Amino acid sequence: MEEKIISLDNLSFFVNDLIKDNHIVIGQDSKEINWKRITGAKDIVVNSKNIPSNISYKEFVFAKTEPIIYYKNKKDEFDIVEPALPRQKLVFLGAKPCDARSIEIMSKVFNWDYKDKFFNERAEGSIVIGVACNYQDKFCFCTSVGLSPVTEKGSDLFLVPLDEKNFALQIVTERGKEFIQPYQKYLSDGNQAKSKEILSKIKNPEKRFETSKVSEWLTNNFEHKIFDNVGDICVGCGQCAFACPVCHCFDIVDEECDYSSGRRMKNWDACQFGLFTLHGSGHNPRETQGKRYRQRIAHKFKYYQDKFDEVLCTGCGRCSRGCPVGIDIAEVVAEINSLA
Amino acid sequence: MSGSNIYKPEMMEITDIVQETSDTKTFRLKFKNESTAKSFSFKAGQFGEYGVFGEGESTFCIASSPTRSEYIECSFKQIGKVTTALTRLRVGDSVGFRGPYGNYFPVEEMKGKNVVFIAGGIGLAPVRCVIWNTLDLRNDFKDVTIIYGARSFNDLVYKRELKEWKERKDIKTVVTVDPGGEVPDWDGEIGFVPAIVEKVAPKAENTVAIVCGPPIMIKFTIPVLQKLGFAEENIITTLENRMKCGLGKCGRCNVGNVYVCKDGPVFTYAQMKELPQEY
Ligand SMILES: Cc1cc2nc3c(=O)[nH]c(=O)nc-3n(C[C@H](O)[C@H](O)[C@H](O)COP(=O)(O)OP(=O)(O)OC[C@H]3O[C@@H](n4cnc5c(N)ncnc54)[C@H](O)[C@@H]3O)c2cc1C
Ligand code: SF4
Ligand code: SF4
Ligand code: FES
Repeated sequence: MEEKIISLDNLSFFVNDLIKDNHIVIGQDSKEINWKRITGAKDIVVNSKNIPSNISYKEFVFAKTEPIIYYKNKKDEFDIVEPALPRQKLVFLGAKPCDARSIEIMSKVFNWDYKDKFFNERAEGSIVIGVACNYQDKFCFCTSVGLSPVTEKGSDLFLVPLDEKNFALQIVTERGKEFIQPYQKYLSDGNQAKSKEILSKIKNPEKRFETSKVSEWLTNNFEHKIFDNVGDICVGCGQCAFACPVCHCFDIVDEECDYSSGRRMKNWDACQFGLFTLHGSGHNPRETQGKRYRQRIAHKFKYYQDKFDEVLCTGCGRCSRGCPVGIDIAEVVAEINSLA
Repeated sequence: MSGSNIYKPEMMEITDIVQETSDTKTFRLKFKNESTAKSFSFKAGQFGEYGVFGEGESTFCIASSPTRSEYIECSFKQIGKVTTALTRLRVGDSVGFRGPYGNYFPVEEMKGKNVVFIAGGIGLAPVRCVIWNTLDLRNDFKDVTIIYGARSFNDLVYKRELKEWKERKDIKTVVTVDPGGEVPDWDGEIGFVPAIVEKVAPKAENTVAIVCGPPIMIKFTIPVLQKLGFAEENIITTLENRMKCGLGKCGRCNVGNVYVCKDGPVFTYAQMKELPQEY
């Protein structure tokens, strides 16, 4: 893999150029630990020591809420107007390895048959500039789902902090190579030995479970008290799904409408809500929180794998850090692993 | 690359409305756009998303037969927000439509075989689609039996067609109501669907059974069919999970690793048995 060096100053110039060149740069600023559109290099912070943001950057490709059609009623004839989508390319700056693959993973469901253009037009051609992760707490478990704090998987370009003032910049994909081409002037020659040494010193979170074992256990243990035990604690707030970089369920509802005009929206939804699967008849296939929690676990560690050959989890630990009642997904899955 | 907006409905006009029961209506719908009308095709068992602007969308099967392609029909029970809004519409009003979605009944494979249709309540809607499909190609099939039941006489849908089917000599039609649900001059059966199936179902040999209705009816009918010797592959039913997108995206309709909206809604009992019990 080709490797260059970019200084912190040059990273700022690079980001300013990207903005000038009409890219939408999504990053984190120094005050907040959430993602936002960056308007100038003064805002940026690429910090490998940061805790993963509260919520992931998925909202920039899979919007929290967005119109899918507008309609107007003209003398009982409806005009349907399609919302315009942004044409600029998205650049995600400073994605940790537990964020970098999120678009790739979600892309499977948004494209397995019908193609969702609301996702695709933002995701296609987006560039992920990852950064090696030097943060770790008890909720992190990327190594259990096939990732690691130092993996470049999912990134087009990958930054490794060399010292206070310099990053190594690994050119991971062809797309990344093309993308960086116009900005060569900010790069100098790299020294792979040094970045390798730095990466080798980063400690891996302990591996908590084997995904193949977990998936097999889930196949054979649809009914098990472990789900009810967690379900008894879970308050069904849905935080876990909203914070997650790869949860992708949504609702379709009409909003702000009257007889003459309105809009139909696609809004984030969560399988932990009791209304999620409630039939009109009153029947609910997942009538208890335990059944809903089982869906969460089985979707992530079995169904998505069966269907799309991906674990629907990157081990970021966000859902656990944010859970108001202290449910730790890695703990639950590790328990399943010990049962298997 | 990304193509069209998969959530955008086509506009249809209501050309006819039948009040089936106190809370169930049938709409006949035609595409407003000529070229959509020409290119549209579907197969028996598929469904669509029917929308009322300002209220939302609801999932109903296409209840008319693909052999009659000038229109589609849907029958729906007034049960909530969208179905109440639909109930208020009149002939000439517009309805949004997305579809056809999902898989379909194996009509081609059923040719040359006997078919028994078993339906309960509004479950006759998807079955009616394949009944007419079969009757319009009557010579391609051997014996055809229809068994339909509802809670009471007033809950029977498609009453005109039930009469027509009963009068036909080339099919056997049995209609039943739950005990207590009959009216004074009721000339059909009285009893629950599974019991009637046991009484009048054809022999299992070379026969396919299509069963749709409330979960409780399906639950008690399948053992009866098995007792009669029907193989699990020859018992076909549909699942009706709550849906939003109908496109395998919104994550709402799954049973295990199966998206009911894409991999279903039609399943053989053999396939159903493989699924986790969560429907
Ligand atoms: C593949 C498939 C095929 C189907 N085919 C048919 C068919 O052919 N015919 C048919 O009739 N049905 C069919 N259904 C079922 C049908 O989709 C639902 O009955 C319908 O979507 C209900 O829509 P709704 O908006 O009227 O109900 P909703 O409003 O969504 O009602 C859902 C639940 O919320 C409750 N509710 C509604 N409004 C409120 C409120 N304001 N406050 C609190 N609670 C509320 C209701 O009581 C109900 O329990 C099918 C379903 C599937 C999946
Ligand atoms: S965040 Fe915790 S309490 Fe809230 S739905 Fe998820 S598991 Fe349940
Ligand atoms: S399930 Fe939890 S740990 Fe896994 S990716 Fe989602 S938020 Fe992160
Ligand atoms: S209805 Fe949306 S995934 Fe099936």
